[in-house]
This record gives sequence, C-alpha cells and structure tokens, in this order.
Amino acid sequence: MLSDNPEESTIPNLAKTAEIIGQLGEELAFVAPNQDAGLLPINRCVMDLEELAERDIPLSVTAGLKVARGWLDQTLDGPGKFTEETIRDFNGWHAWMTSVLLAWERGTDMPAWPEGWDADHPPAAGAEVGNTVATASTSGDEELPIHLNLAEDLEFLREFHGESVELLQDIEQGILVLEDNPTDAGTIDSIFRAFHTFKGGAGFLHLEALRDLAHDLESLLDAVRRSELRITFEIIDLILAGADALKHFTQEIGAQIQGTNPGAPILVATRQIIGRVQSILRGETEPVPALQDMGTQFDAAGTTEELSAPTAEISEQPAAPKHRSTKASASRESVVTASSGFVKLDTSKLDNLVDIVGELVIAQSMVVQNPDVQKINSLQLVRCLRQLSRITTELQRNAMSLRMVPIRGMFHKMNRLVRDLAAQQHKQVQLVLEGEETELDRNLVEKLSDPLVHMIRNAVDHGLEYPADRIANGKPESGTIRLSASHQRGGIVIRIQDDGRGLDARRILAKALERELVKDSASLNEAEIFALIFLPGFSTAEKVTDLSGRGVGMDVVRRNIESLRGKIEIQSVRGEGTTFTILLPLTLAIIDGLLVGVGSDRYIIPTLSIRESFRPRPGMVSTVQEQGEVVSVRGRQTPVLRLGRYLGTTSSVVNPEDGIIVVVESGDSARGLLVDELIGKQEVVIKSLGEVFEQQNILAGGAVLGDGWVGLILDVDTLVKMPYLPPAASPAAPPLS
Amino acid sequence: MNQKSASKVEPAAKAGRYLTFRLGEESYGLPVLNVREIIRLCPITPVPRMPAHIKGVINLRGTVIAVFDLRAKFQLAPTSYGERTCIIVVQVVSPSGGSTLMGAIVDAVEEVVQLTADEIEATPDFGGAPDTQYILGLATSQGGVKTLLDIEKIFVEDGSLSLIPKSGPEPQSNPSR
Repeated sequence: MLSDNPEESTIPNLAKTAEIIGQLGEELAFVAPNQDAGLLPINRCVMDLEELAERDIPLSVTAGLKVARGWLDQTLDGPGKFTEETIRDFNGWHAWMTSVLLAWERGTDMPAWPEGWDADHPPAAGAEVGNTVATASTSGDEELPIHLNLAEDLEFLREFHGESVELLQDIEQGILVLEDNPTDAGTIDSIFRAFHTFKGGAGFLHLEALRDLAHDLESLLDAVRRSELRITFEIIDLILAGADALKHFTQEIGAQIQGTNPGAPILVATRQIIGRVQSILRGETEPVPALQDMGTQFDAAGTTEELSAPTAEISEQPAAPKHRSTKASASRESVVTASSGFVKLDTSKLDNLVDIVGELVIAQSMVVQNPDVQKINSLQLVRCLRQLSRITTELQRNAMSLRMVPIRGMFHKMNRLVRDLAAQQHKQVQLVLEGEETELDRNLVEKLSDPLVHMIRNAVDHGLEYPADRIANGKPESGTIRLSASHQRGGIVIRIQDDGRGLDARRILAKALERELVKDSASLNEAEIFALIFLPGFSTAEKVTDLSGRGVGMDVVRRNIESLRGKIEIQSVRGEGTTFTILLPLTLAIIDGLLVGVGSDRYIIPTLSIRESFRPRPGMVSTVQEQGEVVSVRGRQTPVLRLGRYLGTTSSVVNPEDGIIVVVESGDSARGLLVDELIGKQEVVIKSLGEVFEQQNILAGGAVLGDGWVGLILDVDTLVKMPYLPPAASPAAPPLS
Repeated sequence: MNQKSASKVEPAAKAGRYLTFRLGEESYGLPVLNVREIIRLCPITPVPRMPAHIKGVINLRGTVIAVFDLRAKFQLAPTSYGERTCIIVVQVVSPSGGSTLMGAIVDAVEEVVQLTADEIEATPDFGGAPDTQYILGLATSQGGVKTLLDIEKIFVEDGSLSLIPKSGPEPQSNPSR
C-alpha cells in the first residue's frame, strides 16, 4: 500500500486524507451562494479523495465521499453554482468528515451517519433534491434535441468539437482492437475514458442528449471493465452505433460552428441506443424496444450507477463503493493525459515557428562569422558562442521534427473504412498494417489521405472476391489487404497490396479502346495496359457503390500523387492480386544534402542519390568523339557532366583533375557530375521555388543555407536522364579560339 | 487609336494609392494593395538557365521567392546596384488562382501617393516601342509623370507564371580544353 508520508505507516493514507480534507475546508471558506467560485477546486479535492479511496481507507470516509460526490454532481450538472443549501450541506459534511478523521486517527468508533444523507442515491436516480435535468432526459420517451449556444460558447464548442473528433477516432480504433482481442484491458479502459471525457465536455456545454448517451456508453464500458459483462459482437455494434450517433452530433456541431444553420436544434436518435445499453446492463441479452424499456428506466439508471445496496456497501462490501472513485480517478487520468500528452495548434503557427527558427539559425551564424566578432580574443565569448550555436542547432532540429508525424493516424483510419466496406459487401477482409511508425511531413500525410482512401476502396470493391469465389479458387476465405509504409531510396514508399483477383488486362484494354483512350492495341505491353487505368475518363467500375465510384477515378489519385512529386506504379498478377506502389520523394521534408561549389555558385545534391565522390586522377576521364567525356568508376565508364558548363555558370575547372566528380544515380543509370569543390554536408529543408520555376526540371527546390543565402537543390533525375551529350554552349562557357 | 478628345479612353488604372519608385530617371507606380513589403537588396542566388531579367531567388524569412530585375524586364540599360536599390515584394495572383510572392528590383522607392481618377490617363499609343502591355496608365502628379504598371502582367508570361527557360540543347560548341 502506498503511503505518501512515511511517518504514517501505521495508519496508511490518513495524513493524505487529512491534508485534502483540510484543503477542501479552506476552499469551502471562500464559496458564496449563487457563485461558482470554489466549485472546481472542491471537485478536485473530492476527486483526489476518491482516488485515495481506492486504497485502504475507512468505509465511513468512502461513504461520506459518495455523498459529497452526489451533491457535487448535482451542482455541476444542474445550476453550476452553490446555493445556501449546498454550502450548508458541505460545511456539515466537512465537520463530520473531520470527526471521522479524528476517530480514524485515534482508532475510536466512527461518528454516527448523519440523518438525511443518502450515500446510495446518486443524482441520476433523481433522489431527493430536484435534479430535473438528468431525470427528465433519462426518463423522457422522446428524442431530445440539443441546442447550441453559439453566442456564448463558441470557443468552448470549437474546443469540444476538436476534442470530440479525436476521441471518436480513439473509440473507433479501440473497438477494432477489441474485435480481435475482446479482453484487452488497456483498450477497454481507453474507450471508457474517451466516453467519459466526452460526457464531461457535453455536460459542461449543457448538451444533455449527448451527455446522456455518452454516459450510458461509459456505464456499459465500465461494466465491461469490471468484468461484469463480456464483450460480445452485440456490445461492439452497440458501441459503434453509439459512437456513430456521437459522431453525427459532432459533425452537426462542427457544421454550426462553421456557420451552417447556426442555432438550429440538433436531433439524433439516441433513445434506442440508450435503451439497448440499459437492457444489456440489466442483463438482458436481447435488445428490447425502446418504449417498453421506459418503465424501468429509473431502476436502470440506478443499476448503471451502483450495483449494490447502501448498507451492504458500507458494512460488508468494500469493493462496491470503489466504483464511483474508479470513475473519478479515471476522469482525472484522462484530464492529465489530455493536458500533458498533446497540444493542438494551428499549422500556420507551426510553419511560422519553423521559419523563425530558421531565421534564428541564420542570424546566429551571422554573428559567429562576423569578422568583428571573430577579432575579439576572448575565451569566454568563444564558449558562449559555441553554446549558442549548440542550442540553436538543437532548437532547429526540434522545430523541424514538429512537422514530422507518423503515418499511423492515417493508416488507422483505413481500419474503419475496410471494416465498413467489408460488412457492406459481405466480404471478409483483413487489413494488415506495416510500418505505421514511418514518419513523414504532416502536409504530405494530409494530401495522401484521399488517394489512399480511394485505393483502399478500390481494393475492397473491385480487388477482392466474395468469400465463395475465393474458396472456389483455392484461396483463404478472408481476403487480405496489406498497407505498408517505409523509407526507401531516399523517399517514402507506400504499398497497397491485395490478394484479390488482379487486374484483367484484356478487359482494361477493351474498355480503353471502347472509350477511345488508345488506338492501337498491338503495341502495348501488360504494364502499359495497366497504366491505362490512370487515364482520365477510364473507370472499370460497372456499378456505383456507396463508397467507391463517386466519379473519382484513378486519374485523380495519380494527379494527387504527382502533385506531391510522387510516382505510382502497379503490379498485378491475374488471380493473385494487385499491388499499388506509391513512391514519394521527401520533397516536403528534410533531406541530407551535399553542398557543392561551381564557380561562384553553390548547389545542393541530395545525399541519397550520390553514390560516391572523388577527385579524378589524370587519365581517369577520357573523351568520346572529342565531345563526350566518360570517367571510369570501378571499371565502368560513366558519362561525365560538367555541371558548370551545363548550368551556364563560370567554372574555374578546366581539367577534370582540378575538380571533383560526384557520381549520382537515378533508377539504373548513373552520371558523374564535375564540380569545382565540395563544401560540406548539410541537412536542409526543401522549399518550393514557387510557380515561377515550375516548368523547369533542373532544380528540385531551394533551401535556406546557414548564411541566409538560398541554395538550389539539383534534380538528379534530370541530370542523369538528360541526353548523353551535354548541351554545353551556355553563354558563360569560355569560347574557344 | 488614342485621341486627345474630351471623352478620354477609360484608363485601366483605377484611382487609389500607388507606391512609386524609380528606374533611372523615370518614375513608376504599383498599386499599393499588391505590395507586401520593401526590403533592402540582399544576396540573390542566381538560377541557371533563366531569362536575364530573372535575377534568381532570395530567402524572405524562410520563404524562397523569385526576384526580377525590372530594368532588365523593360530592357533599360543595366546599372550597378547602389545604396538605394531595393526589392519590392509584391503579391501576385497567379493564373492558377493561388497567390505568389515575388520580388522586383528597383533603383529606389519614392513614396506612396494617392492618385485621383483625374490624374490618371490611359496609355498613349507609342506606335510599337516601347511595349505598353505592362502599362495600366500614366499619372501626372506633382509635376512628374508616373507610369503605372500592371504588376500581374509583368510576372505572367504566356498566361502562366512559369517562365519556361530558353532551353533546348543549343548548338554544341567544342569542349574547352
């Protein structure tokens, strides 16, 4: 047992309890009728106590806590303010609790249970104090619309909406895990907490219907958590249905925040879900119709809250009262996670930060390289400057990593998609995710989402066969879609692989001919035929389903990917499946570059495409027809490109031996670039050169160098693939004769 | 085409505030709404295989933007950059709908003037030279003539912001030895 105070080892938790009760007393001194000051601190104190109650503390304290919790919940759910009555109650409670503490410390008899305190009637049961809100909404037999108070709560609503979207994602993700592993306690816990947080937010904003639904779902999960219920498919479906209803609410709220129908009541069917939840909680396996359910609603609410009688709780069942406190501590946990785990912020702020940090790095190097500063002969200054550059570098590294996110989030979204699609089409599909931790620029993730969704839909809709067909073809009944991501060849490779029927080259070609997308059928090989599906106006979908075939074809997918400077490739074997490979260069991300000097200019060559670099010895470079030059690299003749001449800048290198050859490769071909000097290796953030330079393909982008200048990143692909003979006649090339 | 009648041809330039600047002895104006900021001349990285008036790119607080030399663009005699040379950063709406920042090198920035419709007149026909396609109109203000420029047109060539470099393998010369 944990004791925060070693001196109290004889009576564990007493000191801590006393301390919190003391705090609570202090807070009580400040509360005033019709004000909410002090409400949250007191709630916090009670939550702290409830957490303690999970350990070893006297039953009187636990029972007392339940009373306080009841009052607090009423106040929080209802008026949100103290009344004279509640203040009197709390003061009385504090006095009683103090005497309990005294008795605890001395080991004497606990003080008598005060009259009128009811430890077993939580607010949902609508006991003695008029808790109209909760009672009305739980027992009403019609759907209650919710109304948003946009004028007052806009900021809160916005926050709530953002939070809810994430929570719902967590819930969905959790459910999918549960389907595979129904006893995963961590997942059950996380879903429970998500609903709990949802309930809290909804309660705060007085969105009753939303709160009630979240509350019941939370109770359901709680029962599962405490092993009173076993996860069944029915329960999973119910949770999903509930999550969908909450999602519907959330979407409506989002729309209203955006300005669509502001103030309109939002009505979503929740009663049936609530009814089903409650019937399950009562132990009925068959869902009962909502109306029939109404009569028992009161008891049901009671049952969800507390499962044993009050006296039993106090006298003989120390486990039962823990229920409340478990919940409370969970809520606390989720609060803590929310505040310490993630911060949401505007992406433009993030981009700004990265830019400003870049500026800082440049300013810092300008200070260090300043000739006047360098003249100062001070060891201390040198040390300070070194410290400064260390910190700025670290800061920059951190700032840059902020933009990198794992692809996990997007992959997990596909889980739900596949599940829904499979259910809808009565196919059995297993989605296997690989390389979820692969990090990429968040801008890339956003733009990748649509194409990926589309391709997954295609794979389920058209790629995979029905179970019967699969069995007939000797395949496992359940189809597999493998979605993987990895860093490869200086880029990111995302692969979508299905083991379905594969592409039918004949049908594709027939379709393309019919649509007049190709003319001559004889000259196309299989790969070229497959590539036809990327043409605009091509769609083999013979029927339009709900999810795929909404007029978005593979041409859009390809366009999206190409806009990210990526490539998409298809491999397909008839009867065995299709693999789409998306290759994305890290153009949006950070690359390692080799800074080379050509004349007075500097260029960056992506390190990943460099095979080697060396200073050629005399005789290594030979000419072909007096024009082309080749260098012998490991016994192979590699064409040489004089970079200076090609780019039209003045190069000081006349003889190859005076320069450096950087061998770059792209695909299967390689080329030796002759540069004047190697300046250094540097990690750079690729920046777009903008629309002005969109048409050229010599440069892949620019990057801000340490001295504030822009360095240009060479597009190795172009340099390697351009015609063998360099177009040398640039204006700057020294004229001969 | 253009006559000096009372019913004057409606100039393309609208009344409003213009930033005026100098190229040599001449004064030019740009709509202030297009101007994002004015910066001192900073190191420009030349971009290979580009038309002469594209000086290169600069780092504007972390963003890479293209810089044009307006003198070169208008085929004025080149001068060396002086103390007052600066870069006017303008925001240009590109044909594709987005907006892009670009820099224009000018000899000196003068001031922001408020021009009324009366002060602006349509571009006269010079009969071929100079090329008036970039000119919105002429303004007479404080005794001087200011040429009002169509900033979008200056940066947009052939209906596109992209400047296709004058590439294509040029005649092969002998490699220098």
